[in-house]
Amino acid sequence: MSHREHVEESLDAIRRSKLNAFITVDYEGARRQAEEADAGELDGRLAGIPIAIKDAISTKGLRTTCASKMLEDYVPPYDAFVVKKLREEGAVIIGKTNMDEFSMGTSTETSFFGPCKNPWDLERVPGGSSGGSAAAVAAREADLALGSDTGGSIRCPASFCGVVGLKPTYGRVSRSGLVSYGNSMEQIGPIARTVEACATLFEVIAGYDPLDSTSRDVPVPHYVARLTDEIAGLEVGVPQDFFGEGVDPVVENATWEAIAVLESLGVHVKETSMPNLKYALSAYYVQAMSEASSNLARYSGIIYGHRVQKDHDWHTTFSENRASGFGKEVKRRILLGTYALSAGYYDKYYLKAREARALISRDFQRVFKQFDALIAPTMPYVAFKIGEKIEDPLSLYKVDINTVPINLANVPSLSVPCGRKGRLPIGMQIIGDQFNEQLLFNIAFQFEQNTNNTCAL
Amino acid sequence: MITKTDVEQIAWLACIELDEEDMQAFTIQFNAILEYFEELEDIEAEPIEEEERNVLRADEVTASLTQQEALANAPRVENGYFRGPRIL
Repeated sequence: MSHREHVEESLDAIRRSKLNAFITVDYEGARRQAEEADAGELDGRLAGIPIAIKDAISTKGLRTTCASKMLEDYVPPYDAFVVKKLREEGAVIIGKTNMDEFSMGTSTETSFFGPCKNPWDLERVPGGSSGGSAAAVAAREADLALGSDTGGSIRCPASFCGVVGLKPTYGRVSRSGLVSYGNSMEQIGPIARTVEACATLFEVIAGYDPLDSTSRDVPVPHYVARLTDEIAGLEVGVPQDFFGEGVDPVVENATWEAIAVLESLGVHVKETSMPNLKYALSAYYVQAMSEASSNLARYSGIIYGHRVQKDHDWHTTFSENRASGFGKEVKRRILLGTYALSAGYYDKYYLKAREARALISRDFQRVFKQFDALIAPTMPYVAFKIGEKIEDPLSLYKVDINTVPINLANVPSLSVPCGRKGRLPIGMQIIGDQFNEQLLFNIAFQFEQNTNNTCAL
Repeated sequence: MITKTDVEQIAWLACIELDEEDMQAFTIQFNAILEYFEELEDIEAEPIEEEERNVLRADEVTASLTQQEALANAPRVENGYFRGPRIL
């Protein structure tokens, strides 16, 4: 099959789709890039492969909305670092995927362009915030996708849609060109149907970028070449703190069955505990909201973005532009962040959240002296119904209980499918120490080869 | 306990005009969320080891956006400038 034919299959799947996984589809650009790949003008590790990109990542000349009315007409004048890397390797960028507005959510319901749906059950959410990316890959509307993960936004939809998704070590992938939300915690990462494809995409996007001052100059290993490395003899910890109240027993059982598979492959497993994780949800939300209130201050509707018809004085004009450009959840987080950073409350909320983050990081440092990796359920349950939680923000925040600790500790975590409840996929996360993504891929690869959980439709 | 007046004040600080309905709903939701965050008060203050560091580079002039590119997304432009709201 030619690249053009292969890309056309993706475009056909998108055209027939009921998922609303894409905000913008670049039919013309995708066909042109596929033809260039066929003509041998594009080569590289991803030549001719259709890839979908979360709409929070800048693509030169291709609308980038962050699923917000605020950026409905925004066309970036430059490519994000990761997008440049994809182009260098010949990838075919087919479109921009649906997400929670400004990445703030766990269900892809807060999008200005309407909710995205779960490919396994159209009445359910795909997870979020990178819901469109995971849904598109699961439904074969794209072979690969990029998401971003601030508190679980790659791993949650990967788990709910039955695909593989990695939240990398903080600093491993450049954030240059990613629209900022909680910048001390977020990373761009790969989503794919198999561990090998996920590792291939990660190898392309990882690396140092002087344009991101938090990007780290650490050599990028050949993850794919070492995918089959032996895992027998590894020490894996299972922290009981990820199996707290609210975890569905079916999810718990699936995780333990997966752990038994790894034991049969020679991995040594032991239970452990990380007592400070109980603060993770509060610490994450206080910090993310505080950072959001600062990061989103730039949207005034003057240099770019949504602007109301009639101008008043500066303050009123800004306030009206922001009132009509942002959705409810974005307003909630900006306001709560503004409050947490305001005089008199900074010590009570923001500083305490920073202290909690330090304690949680220390918990991870301690367990990684004893274990090579940790295993836990990615999400406490399978995908929930659209509309089920959206009216009660706190109940929606609590969905992130198992994913946020990883972002607070700057460590990598790979979510892989490990079972089902009915038709709905269940994911487990394999968590490693900083810059140890290789080990996560190796464990996931052996697990995948010895089980039959690959969930793609 | 946060009141509607507090929410109005925060909205002013954050430069986001809120309608009456949002103000009511946010007041209730913020109280529930902030009550949840109060668990952080149990944490014994410990000095935070700062991981952040300054990253500096030489101040070299390199190619950047053209004026046309920089203005391309602006809702209002006049004579090659961004047009803001009036000051007086």
